[in-house]
Amino acid sequence: MQRVGDFKLPSFFNYPPYFTLQPVRETREKQVQLWKELILDYCRTLKVFTIGLEEDFPLFSNPEIQRTLTHEAREVFLSALVSEGRAEWINKGHKKCLILWMRIQDWADCVLRFVRDNGLEDSVMTVEDIRSGIESRGTELEGIDRTVLMRALKLLEQKGKVAIFKGTSADDEGVKFSA
Amino acid sequence: MRRRPGIAGLQNQAAARDQYRLVGDHVAKLRTDMMKEQLETFRSQLEDFARKHKNDIRKNPAFRAQFHEMCAKVGVDPLASNKGFWAELLGIGDFYYELGVQIVDICLATRSHNGGLINLQELCSLLCQRHKVARDAVSEDDCLRAINKLKILGGGFEVISVGKKKLVRSVPTELNKDHNEILELAQVQGYVIVDEVEKRLSWSSGRAIDTLETLLEEGLAMIDDGHRDGRRRYWFPCVASVPGATG
Repeated sequence: MQRVGDFKLPSFFNYPPYFTLQPVRETREKQVQLWKELILDYCRTLKVFTIGLEEDFPLFSNPEIQRTLTHEAREVFLSALVSEGRAEWINKGHKKCLILWMRIQDWADCVLRFVRDNGLEDSVMTVEDIRSGIESRGTELEGIDRTVLMRALKLLEQKGKVAIFKGTSADDEGVKFSA
Repeated sequence: MRRRPGIAGLQNQAAARDQYRLVGDHVAKLRTDMMKEQLETFRSQLEDFARKHKNDIRKNPAFRAQFHEMCAKVGVDPLASNKGFWAELLGIGDFYYELGVQIVDICLATRSHNGGLINLQELCSLLCQRHKVARDAVSEDDCLRAINKLKILGGGFEVISVGKKKLVRSVPTELNKDHNEILELAQVQGYVIVDEVEKRLSWSSGRAIDTLETLLEEGLAMIDDGHRDGRRRYWFPCVASVPGATG
């Protein structure tokens, strides 16, 4: 079994035709399904938040069988994730994709749990601190993508759970958690 | 005996015929009784044997196959009914019914990958994986017997021979001779190329492409345009030499 870091690749990754978009509908559906699961699993395990379509993303080619996904195939698989709400195109040109292996709602719940566990109600933190501060070390929030975190915080703000404000220095933003 | 005319002669003849028939019947009856007795002895011996080697029959697939062969020779089918002596003694009926259910399960689970055609070897190894917990080995012979039982249900389960391999078909697709020849060719590398099919089978290009297109439509083949030489390969997951994806 092939591995990338800690990630165990599924056996279909070694079967060449899975790297060519299949013309027959049922076969294609199965193919897209397998790739969707693979991309989500991979990103979850290795904490990958963005995939660039033009980049050398490890899943896009398998040197062992000398197969590489075409640009079209990459876009099909990622679009399938987008249509399920498990990914979002970052720019209009479909060049970069944000992978939501946890939905924004789930990330928001993470933030709330984090606040509760650390007794941070009524206190203020910078966004950067949430991502890389001591408190978040070892939690799911460690190293979270800034865009994803901001989206989660905005969702919480809508629900009145936090307040986001511009920081005094630099361009970092501050967050006040409500009790 | 000199033939004498008259009533007495006819009567004598009839009496002699009756006597002969009586003796004949007697001999025949003796023979049948003897045969019956022999068969009875054989049956009880077979039962004794089965009782004695019950565990071997259950655990050892090679032994099980030989036992089946022996039973078939004397006209005993341990699988014929789930109620009879044999099933009760060996629990063999249940064994094959369970196997049948698992085979259906695997065929359904892998259908989207292989189009409903699976290599008997692969099916068998998937079954063994499931049986690891129960620690019972399952042989190809067992699979064939279980599939044979499934036929009664009319679910379209069938074993077909393609080249040296046996494939289990769980969809009602009819495979014609052309399809079979391509599948046989694919067994070498797991895939075929149109040019090669034409060359090896001396087909016209239309015939090869048509056949491959049908197999593609049926979900039995997958295309692969990723090779450096740019020639399209048609892969057949049902004869996969690469470990097939099953879920």
